[in-house]
Amino acid sequence: MASLDMPLISIRPWKRWTASLLAAGLALGSAYGLSAGLRREVARSSHQQATPEAWLEAPTPTSPEWVAQGRKLFLASCAHCHGADATGDEGPDLHNVAVSDRYISNIITHGIKHEMPSFAKKLGAPEIARLTAYVRSLEGQE
Amino acid sequence: MDGTIWAKMHGATVHFPIALVLCSWALDASGLLFPDAGLRRGLHAAGYWTILLGAAGTVPAVVSGLVMTKGVLLGHDALRLHHLFAWPAFALIVALAAWRSASQGFATRRALCGYLAVAAVAGVLVAAAGYWGGEMLLAK
Repeated sequence: MASLDMPLISIRPWKRWTASLLAAGLALGSAYGLSAGLRREVARSSHQQATPEAWLEAPTPTSPEWVAQGRKLFLASCAHCHGADATGDEGPDLHNVAVSDRYISNIITHGIKHEMPSFAKKLGAPEIARLTAYVRSLEGQE
Repeated sequence: MDGTIWAKMHGATVHFPIALVLCSWALDASGLLFPDAGLRRGLHAAGYWTILLGAAGTVPAVVSGLVMTKGVLLGHDALRLHHLFAWPAFALIVALAAWRSASQGFATRRALCGYLAVAAVAGVLVAAAGYWGGEMLLAK
């Protein structure tokens, strides 16, 4: 087989492939590890800074039925990002969110650019109120 | 600290690997065409170093991008499309650089043609990732 202009030395092809696969795996693994660390940190800290209105606005009235209905909606629309137990996955942990009901409702309705889709077309005001009740019910849970 | 610093860092770093990977492919492909042995060696040496620098350049680009998105690996909408091309491109570029490094500059013509085919795929992935990155900036 014709070679390039440099002398051919015996480098077994499998060594090159092994090096390539190891390097690619290491690169992707490192990126995944950095991503997991960052997401863990964000999930831990993102809701620990209360929004000002949370101190001024009382939680809206709720009921166990609303919470149960909110849980069903959560599993259908939110669990694939926030985890079935809402402890966070791609999206943040939703336990102990220190924000107002209005804030939660706004996030569900409008989403967060490039991070979370808007649910304005999928969910109406009653559904969002029940989802908010469910998120609120996670306070104090670990 | 400026809240957009990581977005600026991503913009500042991401163009180096894009340019270097595409240049590396062009240099190596040119090296296959020219009859002059000295010129071929020079072009392949330049292709070798540009793919190594391109792979090194992916590291700050990936780190700044991950910090900017707070660790989101896929995301939604244009960000998701950007990532669907960017992650395979990242893996391929690092793999190509490792292959060239493991070959220590010695490879058969056939192996280099295979390398160029994979590098072309990486180039297309990089270009597509760049396109969707631009869409995120330009989308209203």
